[in-house]
Amino acid sequence: MKKCLIFLEKEYENFCVSLLKAAEEMYGSHFQSYALSLNADLTQAENFFDEIITVSDEKVRCYDTHSIACVMEELHTLYAFDSILILATHFGRMLAPSLSMRLNTGLVADVTEIKRHPDKIEMIRPAFSGKLLAGIVNTQGNLIMMSIRPGIFLYENAVPKCTNIRNYQPKNISVSQIKHISRKDKPASKDIRESDILISGGGGILEDFDLIDKLAEQLGGMKAASRKVVDSGKADRNIQVGQSGKIVHPRLYIALGIYGALQHVAGLNHVEHIISVNTNKNAPMCSLADIVVEGDAKTFILNLIKRIQQG
Amino acid sequence: MKIICLLKFVPDVDSFEYDYEKNVLVRENVKQLLNPDDACALGFALRLKKTNPDIEIEAVTMAPHSVRKFMEDILRRRVDKGTLISDPLFAGSDTLSTSLILGTYLKQTPYDVILTGSQTLDGDTAQVPAQIAEFLRVSYISGITKIDEQSFLQGSPQVEVDTENHTDIYELTFPSLLAVRRESKYRLPFVRFADLESDVSEQLQIIDNHTLNIPPDKIGLKGSPTRVIKTYPQTYEYKEKIIVQNDAEGIETVYCFLKEKGYIK
Repeated sequence: MKKCLIFLEKEYENFCVSLLKAAEEMYGSHFQSYALSLNADLTQAENFFDEIITVSDEKVRCYDTHSIACVMEELHTLYAFDSILILATHFGRMLAPSLSMRLNTGLVADVTEIKRHPDKIEMIRPAFSGKLLAGIVNTQGNLIMMSIRPGIFLYENAVPKCTNIRNYQPKNISVSQIKHISRKDKPASKDIRESDILISGGGGILEDFDLIDKLAEQLGGMKAASRKVVDSGKADRNIQVGQSGKIVHPRLYIALGIYGALQHVAGLNHVEHIISVNTNKNAPMCSLADIVVEGDAKTFILNLIKRIQQG
Repeated sequence: MKIICLLKFVPDVDSFEYDYEKNVLVRENVKQLLNPDDACALGFALRLKKTNPDIEIEAVTMAPHSVRKFMEDILRRRVDKGTLISDPLFAGSDTLSTSLILGTYLKQTPYDVILTGSQTLDGDTAQVPAQIAEFLRVSYISGITKIDEQSFLQGSPQVEVDTENHTDIYELTFPSLLAVRRESKYRLPFVRFADLESDVSEQLQIIDNHTLNIPPDKIGLKGSPTRVIKTYPQTYEYKEKIIVQNDAEGIETVYCFLKEKGYIK
C-alpha cells in the first residue's frame, strides 16, 4: 500500500488535513496516511490519519528547517514513504525545498491539480503568474514531493480513522545557528478563506476602498482585495486574493472594480456565484460572473446598501 | 566582511516566451529585469558598504551570456566583483540542479553571509535559496522585511520576518543565508554619472562547468528530477450571464438574485 507523509503545521492543522485530498487524487482511497507534528494541535488532526508521529526533542525547533529536515529524513529511511506533502505556508515553503535537497528528490511547488496516469503522477502548477499551467512529473526515484497552497484541495466526507499516535525520538539531529527572539501577533482577524461571502475590491474602487466594509457588514461577509489595492497600501496582504495572495472558495464573490488578471482569478477556487461590477463589461472578471453590473463600483455599493435596508 | 548576493534576472512576465515543442523557457531575447526581491538584497548590501567601505560584495548569478550587460550595470553600482555562472550544459536545470550548481560554486568561495530574494517573479517557487542553504548547511530564513544593521555587522544579524499572523524577530549566526522580501524596500542605488561608461569587464568572471566540474548527469534537463511534460492554457468555465446597468432595475436584479440564493435573509 502507498504511504503518504504530511507535515502537520501548528495554526494550519485543518489545511494540512486537507492535503489528504491530494493523496486521494494520487492513490484513490486506499493508502496509509502519516502526519508529522512538532507542536500542532492534534485534536484537529486525529481520526484523519492512520498514524501521527510526534517529535518532542528540544533540539528540533519549529522554525529550524535543517533540524526538521533531519527528522523527516530519518523517518523516510524508516518508513520509505511514496510521497511527502507540505502545506505551502511561509514555513512550509522553507521546509519543503530544504528536505528535497536533503533527500535529493525533485520538488514541485504550489501544485493545484493532480492527474493520475498508469505509470506516473502528473502534478500541475501555474506558471508565469498563472498565464499557463505546467504538468510536471518526477523522473528520478520513487518519492514524490510537492507543496500545496492552503485552500486548493478541499477534503470533505472523510471516513473517520482510528489514529495511532507515536512519539519518535530522533537520533542524529544537526541544528542551525538560529534563535527565535520575539513574536508580535497581528491583530486577530477572521481568515477570508473561511468566509462564505467575500466582497472584493480592485483598482476601480481604490479611492473608496473602505466603503466595502459597509456592504460586507450588510451581507455578513468579509472584505477582500486584489493585488493592485494591496500594493497601493490600502489593504493588508492578509486579505489579498490571487496567485500571490490567498486561494479562496466562498459561495458568493462580489468583485468590485476588479479587472480579473489571471493571477487574481487563480485565487478563486470552486466559487458558486460571482457578481462583477465594472465600467468595462468586457473585463475578464465579467466573463466568469453570473451577473455583470456595468458601471461604477462606488454607486453600486451605495445603491445596493439602500435597497437591502429597504428590505 | 564578504557578502555574496545571489541574483536572478527574470523575464518580465508580460513579455515571456515559451518553447512549446521542447517545453522549455526561451531566455534569450526576452525583456529581462533584476528580480525585485533580489534587488532589495543587493540594495541592503550596498547601503551597508556605503558606511563600511571595507565590506566586499560579490554578485553571483546563473544565466545565459546575454545577461552580461545586466551584470555590468550592477558592477557600475560599486559592487566589487561579479560572477556569471554559465554553460549550455546548465540549460533546462530545475530548482534542484540549479541549487546544486550554485551551491557547488559557493562551496569553493569564501563568504560570511549570502543575501538573496525570497522569491522570484517568474518561477515563484522560492525553492532555490532554501535548497542552497541546505546544501551548504548554513542557517537560513526567508521572508525578511528588515535586517538590523548593527547586529549584522557583528556577524549575528537580527532579522524581522513578516508572516500571515505574526511578526517575528530571529537571530542568526554567520555563515548564513538571508532571503529578503521586496517589502523591505531596500533600494538599489543609481549608477553615479562618473561610472556610467566605466569599464568593469575586469571585475566580471564567467565560470562554466570546466571550473565547477559537476557530473553532467546531475545538471541540465537530463540531471533534473522534475520535468515539464505538458503545458495547458488556463481555461475557466464561462457561465451564462446576465448583464445589467447600474440603475434601479439592475440593483433590483442583483437584490433578487442575492435573496433567491439565500445571501439576504
